[in-house]
Amino acid sequence: MSTSQDLPGIIQAKLSSGEAAITVHEASLMQGWVRASRILALVEHENECALFIFISSRMPPEVFTDLAIERVIPVDADFKCEIDAGEQSVDVYVNISSRKLKLLFEMIPGLKTNNFVSEIMRSMEALSKRRGPPPEFQWLHKYSGSSNRNSADCVASSLDTSDDDAFKASKTEAEKMLDILDSPDIVVPRQSIAQGATPIAARESVIRHQMSMKEDDYTFTQTLRMFIGTWNVNGLPPSSSLTPWLASDLEPPDIYAIGFQELDLSKEAFLFNDTPREEEWRKAVMAGLHPGGKYRQVALVRLVGMMLILLVEEKHVKHVRNAAFETVGTGIMGKMGNKGGVAIRVEIHNTSICFVNSHLAAHVEEYERRNQDYHDICSRLSFSKFAPVKCIKDHDQIYWLGDLNYRITEVEINTVRDLINQNYFPALIQYDQLHRQRSQNNVFEGYHEGAITFKPTYKYDPGTDDWDSSEKNRAPAWCDRVLWRGDGIEQKEYRSHPILKTSDHKPVSALFDSQVRVIDVVKYRKVHEEVMKKLDKLENEFLPQVTVDNTEIIFDIVRYLEPQSQELIIANTGQVPVQFEFIKKLDDSKCCKEWLNIDPPVSFIMPGEKCDVKLEVFVDKKSAFKLNSGVDKLYDILVLHLEGGKDIFITVTGNYERSCFGSSLEALVHVSVPVREIPIGKLVELETTKEAPGGMEPYPIPKEIWFLVDHLYRHGLKKQNLFLLPGLHSELLAIRNWLDNGSSEPLPGSLHSIAEALLLLLDSTSEPIVPFNLQSVCLGASSNYLQCKQIVVQLPEYRKNVFLYLCFFLQELLSHANENGLDAKTLATVFGGIFLRDSPRPSARANSTVDRKKANFVYHFLVNDLSDYVVSKALHLGPSS
Amino acid sequence: MVQEYDHLFKLLIIGDSGVGKSSLLLRFADNTFSGSYITTIGVDFKIRTIDIEGEKVKLQIWDTAGQERFRTITSTYYRGTHGVIVVYDVTNGDSFANVKRWLHEIEQNCEVVNRILVGNKNDAPDRKVVLTEDAQRFADQMNIQLFETSAKDNINVEEMFMAITKQVLRAKQETKEKQADQGTVNIRKPPSKKKNKCCQ
Repeated sequence: MSTSQDLPGIIQAKLSSGEAAITVHEASLMQGWVRASRILALVEHENECALFIFISSRMPPEVFTDLAIERVIPVDADFKCEIDAGEQSVDVYVNISSRKLKLLFEMIPGLKTNNFVSEIMRSMEALSKRRGPPPEFQWLHKYSGSSNRNSADCVASSLDTSDDDAFKASKTEAEKMLDILDSPDIVVPRQSIAQGATPIAARESVIRHQMSMKEDDYTFTQTLRMFIGTWNVNGLPPSSSLTPWLASDLEPPDIYAIGFQELDLSKEAFLFNDTPREEEWRKAVMAGLHPGGKYRQVALVRLVGMMLILLVEEKHVKHVRNAAFETVGTGIMGKMGNKGGVAIRVEIHNTSICFVNSHLAAHVEEYERRNQDYHDICSRLSFSKFAPVKCIKDHDQIYWLGDLNYRITEVEINTVRDLINQNYFPALIQYDQLHRQRSQNNVFEGYHEGAITFKPTYKYDPGTDDWDSSEKNRAPAWCDRVLWRGDGIEQKEYRSHPILKTSDHKPVSALFDSQVRVIDVVKYRKVHEEVMKKLDKLENEFLPQVTVDNTEIIFDIVRYLEPQSQELIIANTGQVPVQFEFIKKLDDSKCCKEWLNIDPPVSFIMPGEKCDVKLEVFVDKKSAFKLNSGVDKLYDILVLHLEGGKDIFITVTGNYERSCFGSSLEALVHVSVPVREIPIGKLVELETTKEAPGGMEPYPIPKEIWFLVDHLYRHGLKKQNLFLLPGLHSELLAIRNWLDNGSSEPLPGSLHSIAEALLLLLDSTSEPIVPFNLQSVCLGASSNYLQCKQIVVQLPEYRKNVFLYLCFFLQELLSHANENGLDAKTLATVFGGIFLRDSPRPSARANSTVDRKKANFVYHFLVNDLSDYVVSKALHLGPSS
Repeated sequence: MVQEYDHLFKLLIIGDSGVGKSSLLLRFADNTFSGSYITTIGVDFKIRTIDIEGEKVKLQIWDTAGQERFRTITSTYYRGTHGVIVVYDVTNGDSFANVKRWLHEIEQNCEVVNRILVGNKNDAPDRKVVLTEDAQRFADQMNIQLFETSAKDNINVEEMFMAITKQVLRAKQETKEKQADQGTVNIRKPPSKKKNKCCQ
């Protein structure tokens, strides 16, 4: 991959100075219903990162002008990256999302993808550890096409929405492609196929992606009343009913999330995380719940003194799924459980909710440590039972409660108390550390908190409503808080409950009307069905599709040894490349009959292209007999199979003109007229019965053999190299026609052609002159003339006749050896292969030893006196009447 | 991980040439209809995923050439089929008469298979020659479910495909249950021959 090594350089060239591409990777963007090639780059500029999505006019790009920036997504608090590596799918799916934007990328599994994703993760981690104001992404404004947009807008803007005319005018080829590819989903233009868009292989990720995009279509919102409570109980057991805290409202809430801190301050609790307080407080909670509702405990989690209980009204319990809890200690050594957070997450209907109860670092001046604890909880707390792992921020709604421990500082304690006594909280909140840290974006970014209209909840003399009267004389503080993050959340109440005096803290509660998305099952089914239908339609459209110009190939008249061909045009009219193959049908051993040849039998066609397939009919000795005898017809059905698709049947027919070639000697001797003059049925009948119709006296040898030999006898005895030089194909066809049709004209063709025609005729008979079953005996006897002679005497009558007739003729030829230069050995070799023809069975393979024995066998009959054979007079050479 | 489907079934559509096999498939898979007649020369298939009682079923539906001359070849496509849809044309008596042959063809080529009988082109009452009663009588006799459909007017097509799919699904579940039963044979009680007749 030499090109991809250049890729980082090309990407870098596309960027401005001060921007560095940390990592670059090729991926397929699931765009609507198809995937399209993209190049992703993680780009850094002064400690701010952004994911750039490039589109390239060619893959791989060669110069930076091939590239256009499709989108720029800042890696900010809303940026999410999830890996979705299904067990069934070969590819890795990476979900990139930021606010409403959701993109699904397909990547090839391997080191490169791992590296790329881990770089993105690293940049997200760096962001979560970042202190000070959040990144502003000023440097990305130029990519959004408009300079006054903030980073949130720049997320969803893509280049083609820019209305900057000058910018549009300078669009490159690649940028123009964006317009094409942004066309509505289901239309899959051929262009996009050519540009590398291919159908989706793994549907499940796509279905999920599509369903999440269409969530609004099948969900409605339902408002749930949430009661979020927090209380630092200072290590004390419950001493009074919790009803004034938990059931102070008229209406019962739907959900309770109740958090405690400092449940147990004992050494045992700290060291062994074991305390009887858990059950005591749990019981107190259960007893103090609103009497108007019936609640079930969904989850309880505790780390040392931090406990969180989630209770859900019975009627909602069945809609609560995937509950999980986790804890993170940020106390002593940064990990002990005296400080930290505990969290419970659930999905209620189709909305994911996370509740976090935290107890952050103490001491007035330690606000930075508290910020740090918050960030540690965010980065370290993950629900590991999910794949991909879910963090706090990966939830639609987050409720964060607890003793956050932020104090009121930089103001005289008496002023504080004065302001409190006047209930003038807006002035006081200015001195609240959490308020200050949040307004500087140092902590709880993206979270909301309602206006505080209650007195600070810390620190009281236990059992009273009096401010701390101890020596320390601590300033009052709003240690106990409830914050939230997410859409559709409306705070109804935010208050403290000073009536509960057990602790040096007062309990706090917040009441929310929170909208959860409820799946309308009927609508969900409908949307899901639509998604399925679209995918089905796409899958059907992406099946291989071809048209053939003709499914009935008709050959008019087909003659022996005369090849004919026709073209079949297969056009790929589908969306995908097609691999076709003519396949075997039923129990056939080949994809077509032996008289047919398909070229090419297998091939590959790109969409919009064609392939010419040549179908050639050629009847030779292998198939002629079957066609002459009616065992076979020039009729075949070919199965044209498209890989992964349909089959098309191609019918091939033709009329075979029967011939003396490829008949049996036994049939031919019964035919007194030219073969073609007898009706088709008759020849078939002759082949089966081998008996002449009408009691005609059969010829001792077929007249066709006699015609050829007689001609050579009269004209060719002195011809040099007879049987050794080939004839002309056209003359052979003329000779065939003369024999089959009969003619008053003299036999056409040169002596060589006639000699070859004789050999071909003898070679084409259904059975050889020496039957296959006698061949091994002949070969065994080939060194002994007497034995050979005995075999010949026992040959079937007409074959014996033909054999001897030809031997007489060959002896006659050899008697003119002076003139024609022929010798017995050569002729014996030529005729050995014909008289003792190899069986068509593949097991009977010819070899030189066998060939020599065949020649030896024939040789005896070319050099010995044959006059003692009792043969029909008609066999004698010379003119006959 | 969301699975794409719970079941994958192969269905086969057979019947005389011109009864509307391809049209039924086109209606079901693409919800389209083309008035022009194109003979299927070969076998083609389309897919569709449907939801049956909460189960996602992916159907691969094979449409075969109905012409007599292709019969021996098309019979090779019966292999692995879960359900066969035998189609005749309610306006063509011969196509109905040939149903017997097609059913025989199924017996010859499939081991266990679910079948459904479909009288297509049920959209022109004046041209209808195969009466519903006659078809129903025959169907009852053969113990096969009958549907009269129109691919052209989209009548009963969806229902028919759902019915055969349900049949296949039920057969699969029954086989599974049977296997499960055999796995835990109660040795004290001989397996009863009497079986509750499955509701048709």
